[in-house]
Amino acid sequence: MDLVIAPGDLVAAAGALMDARWGYLVAITGLDLGPDDGRLEVLYTFAGGAALLTLRVPVPRDDAKVPSLVSVIPSVSFYERELMEMFGVTVEGTPNPDKLFLPEDWPDGVYPLRKDFSMEQLNRQAEE
Amino acid sequence: MTLNLDQTWQSALDKVRTWARINSPWAIHFNSGSCNGCDIEILATLTPRYDVERFGIKLQGSPRHADVLICTGPVTRQARERLIRIYEQMPEPKFVIAVGSCALSGGAFRGCYNIMGGIDQVIPVDAYVPGCPPRPEAIIDGVVKLLAKLQGKDTSGEPIVIAEPTEDPAAALVQDGDVEETDA
Repeated sequence: MDLVIAPGDLVAAAGALMDARWGYLVAITGLDLGPDDGRLEVLYTFAGGAALLTLRVPVPRDDAKVPSLVSVIPSVSFYERELMEMFGVTVEGTPNPDKLFLPEDWPDGVYPLRKDFSMEQLNRQAEE
Repeated sequence: MTLNLDQTWQSALDKVRTWARINSPWAIHFNSGSCNGCDIEILATLTPRYDVERFGIKLQGSPRHADVLICTGPVTRQARERLIRIYEQMPEPKFVIAVGSCALSGGAFRGCYNIMGGIDQVIPVDAYVPGCPPRPEAIIDGVVKLLAKLQGKDTSGEPIVIAEPTEDPAAALVQDGDVEETDA
């Protein structure tokens, strides 16, 4: 089941699920809807047994910001770091914004898992 | 310490040095980002079942004591500096064996954003052992062929390839800018 919510409601929705003790967070997925669509989506998937509930948070591509879930689920910190470095979605309030998987000399502003990423873009940024 | 010896003594010393290196090459193993499949096969090669110690091959802990670097993995950007540093720490003459299709050309990961695409993009390679993963027999074949080549001449010329592939499988895997969504 998918629920589309606004970024401002994310912490409240996740908190409600955790307070009701329904399932647990299994995945944080970044979804790039394509270069023509001006949005990215962040999907928070909760699983209670065999049932999956997904909170979909659409954000504009240029100003992608979601609040951090660390206050509700402390262990999302790693996954939010991966989301930030791979998609360029800024997670506000996450305690450690450093890169998780990408190397230290990776150029800023290059997000490998977006649809408009290419190796030429990487080489061009790296030369600058 | 340089000794100015005449030609016969010099060539005799070279022969002794070559004999010592060929009869007992000490190996060091490095994984530059591989899935560990090739590393498991290298580990199997070093067990008594395949017994490479009859060739004098011993696994060493430190690159400063090693003659041969057995390397796996498509070199990830993070592993690149470490691989170069290990290669530079090995004393001359040193030889590199690239094991596995990832080490040859990037393998299954060719075209990915975080790899250099094979060990010979970073350091010079003397022997290539293809396979995913190669059997321990193939790895032994690579080491033995490298040693046999060294017996012929002391300097490294053409690199050894264990088996010629009939077509280039890596070319079919090159992607131009395709990206996937991630599931964290």
